Amino acid sequence: MDKKFAPHIEELTKALGNISRSTIEDELELLLKYRVPIDEAKRSILKKFQNDSPVLKKVNDLAIGDKGIALEVRILNINEKNVNLRGNSVTIFSGALADESGLCSFTSWKALSLNPGDAVRVRNASVRAWHNRAEVSIGDRSEVELLEETYLPDISELSVTPVKKLGEVGYSDMFISSVAAVIELYHRDVNVKGKDLTIIEGVMADETSRLPFVSWSLLDGVDIGTIVRFEDASVSMYRGVPSIHLNESTSVHIVGPEEHLSFTFASVNLPPKPLPLGDVLQNEGMFDVSVEGNIVSVRPGSGVIARCPECNRVIMKNTCRSHGVVEGIRDMRIKLILDDGTGSLLVMLNRELSEIVYGKTLQESESLMGKEMSANVVYDDMKSILTGHYLGVRGNTSKVEYGVTFVAKSVWVPSEDLDMRVSVLLERLEGVE
Amino acid sequence: MVEREIAHRIFAKELNDSSSTIHSTIEEAINSEGHTPNYLLTPVGTMVNRVFIVGVITEVDNVGTETDTWKARVVDPSGAFTVYAGQYQPQAAIFLSSVETPAFVSVVGKVRVYKPDAGSPIISLRPEEIHLADEAMRNCWVIDTAELTLDRIDAFSKMLSLCENDPDSCNCPENMVIPSNLSEGICLAIDNYGTGADYLNELRSVVKRCIISIDLVSSADGDKDIDVVVMELLEELDDGKGVGYMDLLSVANSRNINEKAVDSAVRSLLAKGQCYEPKIGIIRPIS
Repeated sequence: MDKKFAPHIEELTKALGNISRSTIEDELELLLKYRVPIDEAKRSILKKFQNDSPVLKKVNDLAIGDKGIALEVRILNINEKNVNLRGNSVTIFSGALADESGLCSFTSWKALSLNPGDAVRVRNASVRAWHNRAEVSIGDRSEVELLEETYLPDISELSVTPVKKLGEVGYSDMFISSVAAVIELYHRDVNVKGKDLTIIEGVMADETSRLPFVSWSLLDGVDIGTIVRFEDASVSMYRGVPSIHLNESTSVHIVGPEEHLSFTFASVNLPPKPLPLGDVLQNEGMFDVSVEGNIVSVRPGSGVIARCPECNRVIMKNTCRSHGVVEGIRDMRIKLILDDGTGSLLVMLNRELSEIVYGKTLQESESLMGKEMSANVVYDDMKSILTGHYLGVRGNTSKVEYGVTFVAKSVWVPSEDLDMRVSVLLERLEGVE
Repeated sequence: MVEREIAHRIFAKELNDSSSTIHSTIEEAINSEGHTPNYLLTPVGTMVNRVFIVGVITEVDNVGTETDTWKARVVDPSGAFTVYAGQYQPQAAIFLSSVETPAFVSVVGKVRVYKPDAGSPIISLRPEEIHLADEAMRNCWVIDTAELTLDRIDAFSKMLSLCENDPDSCNCPENMVIPSNLSEGICLAIDNYGTGADYLNELRSVVKRCIISIDLVSSADGDKDIDVVVMELLEELDDGKGVGYMDLLSVANSRNINEKAVDSAVRSLLAKGQCYEPKIGIIRPIS
């Protein structure tokens, strides 16, 4: 084959990891014989083989937006449903499927004659978001074939609620069991369907992570400092952050001091250690993490802003999108990009934190703006004061429509323990001239 | 959703040793809704589009003919970055037109590569942000950059040792131990630059020089000659019977003086007659 096509073949081989080079060469040669332009030829080869070679994934690795994946799973339960789709009544099948890594709900738009316990191979399925979590979608073009009964662990094994560390809880978990220390707890009065209830909200922690929890039953004897073992708690996802839900049917036991655990209340009730940004970005949402980096950009929309008194939206020129002309309430915020060389993240600071970081109060900033009340003066001043500087933040990350955002709860200037880091570096460079 | 490019921490030496650019592939063009950044590939396999640097601005010249274009040199311990700002970077241009050199500055910028018909390509930065910084920030940046550069070098070393049996192939299955975002760049660097252990060691010593240059090491000793430091150490440890060489090494190590430095200092002290070896492995200072 002509030398000049080598880079293209190289590229295709890279893109289609599991197809041999010679196959690709033959395909390309054939298309070029037909005088198909090279870009078109490459496109169709990509398309042709990507469907032939679906990626076999474990349930635990499913990500929303996956397409053309293959799964080897057991059906845990399956129900027939009639739904109304654009005026037509359609029969769909939904339920839960699982492999040894986790379980996940599914919806099939084509008829399946399957029973709970069947082991199947699903090809060319996609993953969509449903109630903030991943759901396997089996469409007309997906293929489902039965597997040997013994090919996967037994259904009784697969439907056991996994015992997990909090740091391992993710999209594929609907129910988990775990042991964790309660590090925050408060009661809240809510009104559900006309009934007044008192619920408990708070934060649990083990040595891997912290997660928010909600309890619909009053947990007798549980308070801050208590270590609890709970079984079959349901997990809900919001913006990529899991939260644990306990109710009357969840078994919750208080763990006494005689049990030896890998952590104590004191050891997990510490501020989180700063993580590399690259690690944080691998998760869609993380609860209560710290990161440190440089401010590489202060984004437009930072500075002195006005909010609608009705709905708290940021308003322009005294006009709210839903309430028309209003008398705005002045506020201050900073949106900045923090970057540590392993990743970058949009960080939001509220007024209180903005005043700390910027070093000027809202009133002082307003007096900067002068008679014209030009907010750009404050924005430009913020940029020149903050850009490039080191900043540490602690808070939650969540996935919103335009990427991962970090909402800060506290801020600091990272302490410079350079001596320690220098010694470690010199140790790594031992023997280098 | 287009991911924001990471601002890489990179020493001038690694950046200026680069010449290959990576343009995005068709696959990416199909998948990325028309946003396809170009990268400069460094000899260590870093794919750089944006950088963050903190250094000393030493020169600013107006090189524009019709409109003002400012060319600046920003120096780090390993060399210099060239920064160009013109009418499309108004804030950076204003900053450069009025900055007093020398000064500590931080720059967030995009890498530009100009390939003249003859000669080597010219690497410069187009600043998105340029602001005054201070010495503490610069020192911190040098340490950050040293750590991250060393991580890249170590990953490269690992990859080289894995592919030793078959240097032409980057598909050895063991590559899975290195994250794919790194291994791809490393393979490209081997193809484009033939980077080998020699270059990695050269860069390692650059990193080491950078760390030492900011003079954080044993700052209490200031810029004392290493011989003097080792001599003082000997006197401090000597109980009248001399000092075991191993003990000397371990104490020196705990004070950030490495074995090689101690070894050469002891030799030179012996040569100068400031200490002697009553027994093999025992050094005794002559006071």
